[in-house]
Amino acid sequence: MIKRRTLVGASAATASFVGALFGGRKANAAKTKASGFAAADIEPRGSVGRLERLPTQHLEAQHDFITGFRTFANRDMTRAARKRIADIMRDKNMSPVDDLPIEEVLKHVGDDPLVAASARMWLSAQQINWTTLYEEFHGNADAYLAEMEAADNMGPGTLELNPDMEMPDYTKHEIHIQPGGYVGDDFAGHIYHYGTNNFFEGRNDQDELHIGLAGAVPEPTDGKVARILDQGCSSGQLSVALKQRFSDADVWGIDVGGPMVRYAHMRAVDIGVGVNFAQRLAEDSKFPDNHFDIVTNNIMFHEVSPEGTVEVLKESLRVLRPGGVFYPMDFYTGSGPGKGVYSSFRQWWDSRWNGEPWRLEYAKLGFEGFNQLMRDAGFEVNENGPPSGRRAKRNVVGIKPA
Amino acid sequence: MANSESSRKSYAADFIKSDTDQAVFLGNPLMDDMMTSIIALGAEVWANRRRTHIIELLFEKEGAVTSDMVEAYVPTAEEEAQFKKERDAFIQITYGHIARTGTDKTALTDDAIQDNM
Ligand SMILES: C[S@@+](CC[C@H](N)C(=O)[O-])C[C@H]1O[C@@H](n2cnc3c(N)ncnc32)[C@H](O)[C@@H]1O
Repeated sequence: MIKRRTLVGASAATASFVGALFGGRKANAAKTKASGFAAADIEPRGSVGRLERLPTQHLEAQHDFITGFRTFANRDMTRAARKRIADIMRDKNMSPVDDLPIEEVLKHVGDDPLVAASARMWLSAQQINWTTLYEEFHGNADAYLAEMEAADNMGPGTLELNPDMEMPDYTKHEIHIQPGGYVGDDFAGHIYHYGTNNFFEGRNDQDELHIGLAGAVPEPTDGKVARILDQGCSSGQLSVALKQRFSDADVWGIDVGGPMVRYAHMRAVDIGVGVNFAQRLAEDSKFPDNHFDIVTNNIMFHEVSPEGTVEVLKESLRVLRPGGVFYPMDFYTGSGPGKGVYSSFRQWWDSRWNGEPWRLEYAKLGFEGFNQLMRDAGFEVNENGPPSGRRAKRNVVGIKPA
Repeated sequence: MANSESSRKSYAADFIKSDTDQAVFLGNPLMDDMMTSIIALGAEVWANRRRTHIIELLFEKEGAVTSDMVEAYVPTAEEEAQFKKERDAFIQITYGHIARTGTDKTALTDDAIQDNM
């Protein structure tokens, strides 16, 4: 195995650029990880556990603020807006738990300053979240690209990029207004990983949530787990956690975004866990029939178009072996969407203005509708599978019939 | 495609741009932008406060501080917990008002002015 040290050591220009970039600060100052890792690794502030610290104290502190602000927006502003909506609806002799069409919802509550501010503040924080990260990675693009280049051919694990692959339009949106989305920015993986760290309000800095999700995935009844597929793997946190749980299995993480799997691979190399990452489509994964024992995915389907969803389900069945387990984890794989005026309002602005174009259709399907699509695709469906760690006490599981 | 200032190979593809920068929630686009500005300003103020704390901590512990030391500093679990408490209090005192935005729009009507004369 070639160490990244060797690859990067060849480029004195890169090393001195990185040095200049970070004001001559000593690289890897607080490094605590055990993996063989080296000069191209841009980690000027070291790592805390498996989290590479953001490269400046200032950016880290901005993100600390955004994490706190998001919590404020999600709790205090939501509570206040929910109460205001209830008051408005009661004044109109209507119920806040009614399910109204969004035009009606907006007519009743859309111009209330507090309700409007609850959405505005959340979105403003979201914009700041992305732009601060974007500036950092693009401001130092050459060095960060060199870092990924150095990792591309390193193990453990492998990386396959297919830049000429045709991508369905639904995958090209700037989902949750991330600049360039998953496919259109070289630092999509970096930006996604650090940006979502504060979605989780600090509870996933060590992949704790992903480790929990990996732990929830049920095994086939015969106990044989030799190959696992993680669809829509993003920065690879679930794929890595799956490999750590099923260390003898061959774990694949696939994603439509080339920059996503590139980052995922680099991070897995850094952590020292061997996953195979590939830029491939969940609906056209190129794997043989009956190949995997487990196919899983996390928070992917709400970002997939209705047509895409049907295709992904068909493909998942195809690549699973008889008796293999399909375990999707998303908002409504354990219970249906929230009801009432506030929920409609929130789902609407999340879809329309937070760049989640498919989530309303996904919500319309709900728990039952999605499960029916799984049946239609040919799965045997157990609606009372083990919970995936979200609020719901169960999660749907599909089995490929013999 | 985003591959700024580098001749290295890009794996970025075409994408579909969002129009969220056009969203107006608060009745006037400038109000929306000002909300974003105020939140961004909060992030800057907090970043400086956190930095000041770290400088103070380092000064107490080491008797001297350089910017490299500030950058490299990893707060202890207790320090981190204290920062978090302060951060959340800062957010409450700065933005908590907005969560209490009232509904009485009569503040500047003639009646309201009369009442207070
Ligand atoms: C919200 S992220 C998933 C997060 C990730 N599973 C995790 O647990 O951290 C959704 C991901 O699905 C990917 N994706 C969406 N549609 C896809 C498709 N048809 N094929 C492959 N990946 C897809 C996106 O590129 C994106 O990275």
